[in-house]
Amino acid sequence: MRFERKLLPAVRAMGLGLLLLIPAGGLAMDVDDAPAAVVIDFLQNLYEPVHFDHTMHLDMATCSHCHHHTIGTGPANPLCARCHAGAGEGDIVACSDCHDAQPFTVENLKKTAEPKLFHIDKPGLMAAFHINCRGCHEEAGGPTGCQDCHKMTEAGEKRFNTGKYAPSGYKAVPKHHDAEKKHE
Amino acid sequence: MNTQLSRRSFIRGGLAGTVAAAVLKDKKASAAHNFEGYPDAMGVVVDLTRCVGCRSCEAACNKEQRLPEPAEPFDDFSVFDYMEHGQKRRTDEAHYTVVNRYDVPAIDHPLFRKIQCFHCNEPTCLTSCFVNAYTKTPEGAVIYNPKVCVGCRTCLVACPFYIPTFKYSSAFSPRVMKCIFCYDTRLKKGKPPACVEACPQEALTFGKRTDMLRVARQRIRETPGKYIDHIYGEHEAGGTSWMYLSPVPFGEVGLDTDLPNEPILNYVKGFLSFVPVVLTLWPALFAGFHLLATRKNRVEQSHNDANREG
Amino acid sequence: MEKLTVDNRSIPIVDHFKPDGTRWTLREKLWLGLTPRQYRQQFFRNWVNWLMIGIFAVGIPLILQRYIFGLGSITHGSNDYPWGLFLGFGLFSMVPLSASGFVLGTTVDIFGRKDFAPVERLALLNGLLGYFFAVVYLLVDLGLPWRLPYPLFISPGPAAVLFLVGWHVALYLSVQIVEMIPAFGEWSGWLRGKRWARSITLGLTIAAIMLSTLHQGALGALFTYAPGKVHPLWYSSEFQWIHFLCSSIFAGLSMVIVSSTLCKWTLKWRADERFLKSLDTLTIGLGKGCAFALITYLAVKIVSLAQDQEWSYLLTGWGQYYLLEMGVGVLLPMWLFAVAVRNRWVGLVRFAAFLSVLSVIWNRINTSMIAFNWKLYQEIPSWQEVWVSITLFALYFLVYRFILYRLPVLYEWKGEK
Repeated sequence: MRFERKLLPAVRAMGLGLLLLIPAGGLAMDVDDAPAAVVIDFLQNLYEPVHFDHTMHLDMATCSHCHHHTIGTGPANPLCARCHAGAGEGDIVACSDCHDAQPFTVENLKKTAEPKLFHIDKPGLMAAFHINCRGCHEEAGGPTGCQDCHKMTEAGEKRFNTGKYAPSGYKAVPKHHDAEKKHE
Repeated sequence: MNTQLSRRSFIRGGLAGTVAAAVLKDKKASAAHNFEGYPDAMGVVVDLTRCVGCRSCEAACNKEQRLPEPAEPFDDFSVFDYMEHGQKRRTDEAHYTVVNRYDVPAIDHPLFRKIQCFHCNEPTCLTSCFVNAYTKTPEGAVIYNPKVCVGCRTCLVACPFYIPTFKYSSAFSPRVMKCIFCYDTRLKKGKPPACVEACPQEALTFGKRTDMLRVARQRIRETPGKYIDHIYGEHEAGGTSWMYLSPVPFGEVGLDTDLPNEPILNYVKGFLSFVPVVLTLWPALFAGFHLLATRKNRVEQSHNDANREG
Repeated sequence: MEKLTVDNRSIPIVDHFKPDGTRWTLREKLWLGLTPRQYRQQFFRNWVNWLMIGIFAVGIPLILQRYIFGLGSITHGSNDYPWGLFLGFGLFSMVPLSASGFVLGTTVDIFGRKDFAPVERLALLNGLLGYFFAVVYLLVDLGLPWRLPYPLFISPGPAAVLFLVGWHVALYLSVQIVEMIPAFGEWSGWLRGKRWARSITLGLTIAAIMLSTLHQGALGALFTYAPGKVHPLWYSSEFQWIHFLCSSIFAGLSMVIVSSTLCKWTLKWRADERFLKSLDTLTIGLGKGCAFALITYLAVKIVSLAQDQEWSYLLTGWGQYYLLEMGVGVLLPMWLFAVAVRNRWVGLVRFAAFLSVLSVIWNRINTSMIAFNWKLYQEIPSWQEVWVSITLFALYFLVYRFILYRLPVLYEWKGEK
């Protein structure tokens, strides 16, 4: 897919940015170590980049809500705690370091087939974001509409036959014929 | 004269029957065993707890398969209210996949369910097709060859999931329109289908069917109470490549829970096994009836002939 | 026509030669020995023909529309109900109604009941035309009718039930054409063809029994591909093909009674003494066969209900409808046949036959359209679909009558044979 090619460098840059901020101590990361904002733009083919206000979200959740057990504070999820309860700070904390942007490559599917591997069901990067972010937004009342976080690009409009590329004769207003159909 | 004639024709009749039997008999050989799916077939788990009804899969499918422009944009969610004949949207010649919304009373938010071809291990569209237009590929896809299709639509009748559709709008090149697991453009090359790749929530998880069963079981086991303890498609209709996990009974999200756990073909085998019996026994049986029933006439006739000659 | 036969002693044609000793040409035989003017006169004097013209005036444009703008332009083009009236009536009903050929062929040629010979040809013709028109309906219904030979030769899918139907209908059509060669041979003077066809009668009849058993059954077995879609009362994995085969026997016999009755009423000029004199007796004989076939059918129906434990369905709305079908469509004609045969009431046999023809059509439409998708909704065919179905049936009627007017079906050929 087209957007994948663009996504890798972006994700690497993100990871690098985070790495530079890690203190050499190896203790649990401090809130102050976190980047103030992260630009998530690996879907930029269909959607404009998301400017993720990291600092703002620090007030709403603990680090381990998103970073599981890699941040040194212990996992928030009891399921993870079964194995990772005492996990220290990991070398990598960026989402993309674990969550692959392309989860279903032949290589990754080999991991899914690994008989002794527990994490055969690790979401890809896009799913990790959406499941995590959107899940929390739903509970906490954050925005959940697709375009609340990322506006569609022209390519996106083309893909979704919307905006400029809306079907001819389509009226965006709530359609009456649907209501009529129901009564037929 | 008459006797000779009927004896000769009797032999011919018997011969015709034998030839017919020899020619037609081997046709049922392929129906004799249960096919349980190719070992390396790919599969998809559709997790209804994850789907948010964004219709990205529909949009991706439309572009990947070069389907006609839809009547409404793919970000128009009023389609979830669409009803025809009391039914929610279904696949048609312009949609290989559709997402529908189900308002289930037991939970406080609606559920969304994508539907597309299930890619059965032993597909009824394939087994019912009299021109072999369908193929189950080793990768798991059930693909269709429009070059031999006659347009009889038995596959539409036979599909327990109401998936294949017919391009009724075309007079000169009508064909069956149905999800092919993106076989030509993706699956064959080891890539997931377009809908899976487009799904932001990974409500669609792709991998080998056997691994997908492990993944699905793990989800059920690791998050007790989240799912109904059943993988829809593991056994339904003899097993399908696309399988579903749901937080509510599958009937509440519009999936048929009365389907047998065996290939639909098994229901046809009763008749199919009778075919060789007819082809082999009937000629002899009815020729025998004929000889018995007309014996008296022939005896009388030969008497008459003898008298006349005498 | 009757008026003309009174005027002209040389018609109806029953011989190769005119009263003056000259030979009828094939052309004259086709015109029934009339001048084109006379022919036209008799054609337009008949109100039935005006009805036909009315049907065709709307039906033929609709058929053209179907071939130019697609099947979806005259039907609902439903993906839920892929098979509509063209198959529900045209294929699933016409085929059992055409079982007459093999049933009478068996009676006369296998069991040696030569007394049924006067209606045998009518039964064979009824069979041939019924099958032929089932194929015509199919050609209207198939998305790509020009690929009809594909399942037979180009890309056969031999494990499919429809493959059996296809091959067997094709073979059986050929068999029936050969079975009609004697009549055609006598009429046209092609005696070598006739003798050849006669010489293989027994083989053909046995082939006909095999092919008919299989494809009558196979049409039923087609529905076993949709076990969840057909209502359980009209569905049985084990017995579906037996239901279809069994009902085809009384359907075929009843059709011979109906058809011969219509001939007796409207084609008296074309029938000969042998046919007219024996018809009442034969009708009672056929009625007896119908009664037995109906009893067998009823028994199999009950066995299949018991086998699948479907009694509880009888209490539902579907059950009421099913019982109505069984009552009006099976029990009533069965009882009428039995009473009529016992008392030798020919009229009642004819009524019962008419009823059971309708009941078979009703059963096939119930199975293929009404009880189909019983969990969804009821599809009602578009008026164009109904009209085209009627148009094709009218065409069937016309071809049927065209042949009866000419070939020695209702009469014996007086000339050399």
